[in-house]
Amino acid sequence: MGLLQGASELFPVSSLGHAVLVPSLLHWSFKQSDPSFVPFLVLLHLGTATALLVIYRDKWVAIIRGFFTAAFRGQMQNDNERLAMLLLVGTIPAAVLGVFLESRIKTLFASPYEAAGFLVANGVLMLGFEALRRRAERRVAAQAQSRIDQEQHFAHAERISFRAAAIVGACQALAFLPGISRSGVTIGGGLLAGLRHEEAARFSFLLATPVILGAGVLEVPQLFAGGGPLGEYVAAAVLSGIAAYASARFLLGYFRSGRLDPYGWYCIAAGLVSLALLRFSL
Amino acid sequence: MKSNSLAVGLGVLGVVFIILAVLYAIGALQLFTSGPGNHYKHAILLAVLAVASFVAANFARPRTV
Repeated sequence: MGLLQGASELFPVSSLGHAVLVPSLLHWSFKQSDPSFVPFLVLLHLGTATALLVIYRDKWVAIIRGFFTAAFRGQMQNDNERLAMLLLVGTIPAAVLGVFLESRIKTLFASPYEAAGFLVANGVLMLGFEALRRRAERRVAAQAQSRIDQEQHFAHAERISFRAAAIVGACQALAFLPGISRSGVTIGGGLLAGLRHEEAARFSFLLATPVILGAGVLEVPQLFAGGGPLGEYVAAAVLSGIAAYASARFLLGYFRSGRLDPYGWYCIAAGLVSLALLRFSL
Repeated sequence: MKSNSLAVGLGVLGVVFIILAVLYAIGALQLFTSGPGNHYKHAILLAVLAVASFVAANFARPRTV
């Protein structure tokens, strides 16, 4: 589970959907309706957040410093200060929904059918984001010689508007639905906001960190309070972190010229196959 | 967009968030919760929203210089 979670969390293929579907399909003795399931998943997410903190450690120091400087000054004077405020705005929608609709969200984790259905929807969303992006590329980057040239016409994460950051944040809240990928919808939202693919991925990874860490601080104590094999839990979180680190490094390279389409097609295929397997109880 | 009224409004909103955070923390407010009791998650979130409101109020405040 740790490797599965860590590898799939940052890819735009919904780790939560996979965490619900794979144990059901492989008949693992794993109950998604168990009260410890969500805190266990959050612990695995902490491994992912740690990997992201390691990758962006220097940036986070600058962002935190920039947040306090700009907050007290009442003005943003550089990119790090602006990025800190964009991340604050982008984090609020998911945090509000996560806390206030927590009990309703947890009931969704029980059904692999819903996870498979949302996985198909996630694939359609990825393809839709890329279709809209291609239209924007035809408008602004018609003379580009290569994909990398084409990407240069789009913006850095620090340059998007606060409204766009709020929209990307709202997209992130969609990922509470198992099967909808957090990184997928936030990267897609970033593309719609005019970011380069690589920058959309970077903004998505930065945006993920506070929400995951916050959820970890609030949820993980429940896991440890309930007893259970703590050594296995921690080992799973470490594996998740290692897999997430490798995934993030791969994706940041991939999105210099790559697109969301392959992941969109994968989600549609995986969702449909899962629905068929679940329907016929294979 | 800077104006005194916007800054005051955001400041008031921050105070409202703090009051709500206290009510959730002591268990006096049960709206959107799983049941009776102290709801520290809700309280922490509302405290964060209060900080965000105060920061926004500081940004909205017109500069005198």
